[in-house]
Amino acid sequence: MMVAPVQVMLGGFILLPALYVGWLSFYESSFGLAANYVGLENYIRLFTDPQFWRAFWNTFFIVNVVVYGELAIALGMATLFVAGVPLRRLMISIVLMPYAVSPVLAVVMWKFMLTPEIGIVNYTLTQLGIPPILWASNPTHGIIVIILLSIWLHTPFTFIITYSAMLAIPKELYEAGRIDGAGPFPLFWRITIPIIMPAIFIALMFRYVFAFRIFSEVWILTRGGPVNLTETLAIYLYRFGFRYHEWGLASAASWMMVLFTALITAYYFRLMYKQMFAADV
Amino acid sequence: MSNKLKKCISYTLRMVVLALFIIWSAFPIFILVISSFKPSRDIFDFPPSIFFKPSLINYFNLVERWPEFFGKLLNSAIITLGATSLTIVITTMAGYVYARHRNMFLTYSAFFMIVIRMVPPIVITIPLFPALNYFALNDTHILLILLYSTFFVSLCTWIMKAFIDQIPKDIEEAAFIDGASLFQTLTRVTLPLAVHGIIASAVFVFIFSWNEFLFAFLFTANTAKTAPIILSEMQNSVTGVEWGPLFAAATLQVMPILVFIILVQRYLITGIAAGSTKG
Repeated sequence: MMVAPVQVMLGGFILLPALYVGWLSFYESSFGLAANYVGLENYIRLFTDPQFWRAFWNTFFIVNVVVYGELAIALGMATLFVAGVPLRRLMISIVLMPYAVSPVLAVVMWKFMLTPEIGIVNYTLTQLGIPPILWASNPTHGIIVIILLSIWLHTPFTFIITYSAMLAIPKELYEAGRIDGAGPFPLFWRITIPIIMPAIFIALMFRYVFAFRIFSEVWILTRGGPVNLTETLAIYLYRFGFRYHEWGLASAASWMMVLFTALITAYYFRLMYKQMFAADV
Repeated sequence: MSNKLKKCISYTLRMVVLALFIIWSAFPIFILVISSFKPSRDIFDFPPSIFFKPSLINYFNLVERWPEFFGKLLNSAIITLGATSLTIVITTMAGYVYARHRNMFLTYSAFFMIVIRMVPPIVITIPLFPALNYFALNDTHILLILLYSTFFVSLCTWIMKAFIDQIPKDIEEAAFIDGASLFQTLTRVTLPLAVHGIIASAVFVFIFSWNEFLFAFLFTANTAKTAPIILSEMQNSVTGVEWGPLFAAATLQVMPILVFIILVQRYLITGIAAGSTKG
């Protein structure tokens, strides 16, 4: 069967480990120790750990700001590009460029621009009388930088989806709207947005799922610090799994991440279904 | 007259917004690349000088102080090409089956494929770690090739299916009637027509594998270490960040992929459209 390699890889590398993690989350386990059944203890420890909730709310906040920030920028870009821009191919290449940049390099660039006192962005801010961004010492600033660079990295993805969807809208609809006397904003809200809604939902869902697992950007920039205040769920999981070797607890955290992801996708699949159903009527 | 003025204002406004988008997207990359050609003492000049005498001093320093960087860049290249080739071969086969056949098993497995893709990669790292040690796969190129490929087979199968769906079945039937075997039909008739799909799916694995951090960070120590990992180490060296060599290394890592993305731009767009609307 020609589908075998694909299915075997997915099963072997994702399904089996994920199920094993589910099993492990009910055990106490570390290096050289036989797994010891502890029931729900790992989950109880997880839910009573204030640091877990800190990581949860950090992730929650980052994901929402990033996803909707991206969507706003992407919609703006897409509208502009559909209306027509000079040197279209070149311009599209330029706005797609961040898509090719590794999170590691994104951190290099932003770190450099935000170097205290002399980095170009911080220097400009100081000159304008705005306090500089001190991402290394101030956790709120750290999170702001993580958000900024995530939006920067991932906007092209959302842009491509919304742009393709807008290209497919028949021009006659706009002409009809204009004849009825609608201005650019009503045209956008009454025609563009409803028509590309399914595409927006898809972009949002994928971005929610991918933003939710955010690790590299945070790890390379702040390592979750200072004192774990910028930690996200993936960093929390890493700390317990690979630093403290508490595999049971890390597995419980893993399983929570799978559950949250399932919730996000279920919610959006349902919304999408409703949306499409409403469009049919 | 006022109409003309209005048009003029709206045009100017649009160009200003376009300029802002372009600066937002390109400025960080631009500043990184030009800074790699500046001697360290000029890197923090404000405003950043755009016309200056380019110097290769940072690149020489990179060779001198971080000679291992080049080996890691080569690792990245090997792993990227390996993962891309593997993914293309197996997802073309699977995509063909999903496009041409339909039954209960396939429907379920297609559903499984979409759902399983949502599992966050970090979740599987904990159980994988001891298993990989057991099979002595840790810190090998083949491991990263397999992992990177695994996380993209769903999307790429879907893209391939979408593209093969558009190829009329009659062409294949004609080849069968002319006496071609299934293998001949696939390689001589279907594949050449599906080549856009192949490029579109290759783009994703290629970009992902070239830049991936998490798996490389957890599962490599030395032999299979990739460029992104050493780049992150250069940022955290105990002696403080040496921006010059770091920029040189970063430029070497980002240039190939930037050229690549500009060349394959339209495949990226069709690929995301095909993979997301139907996946």
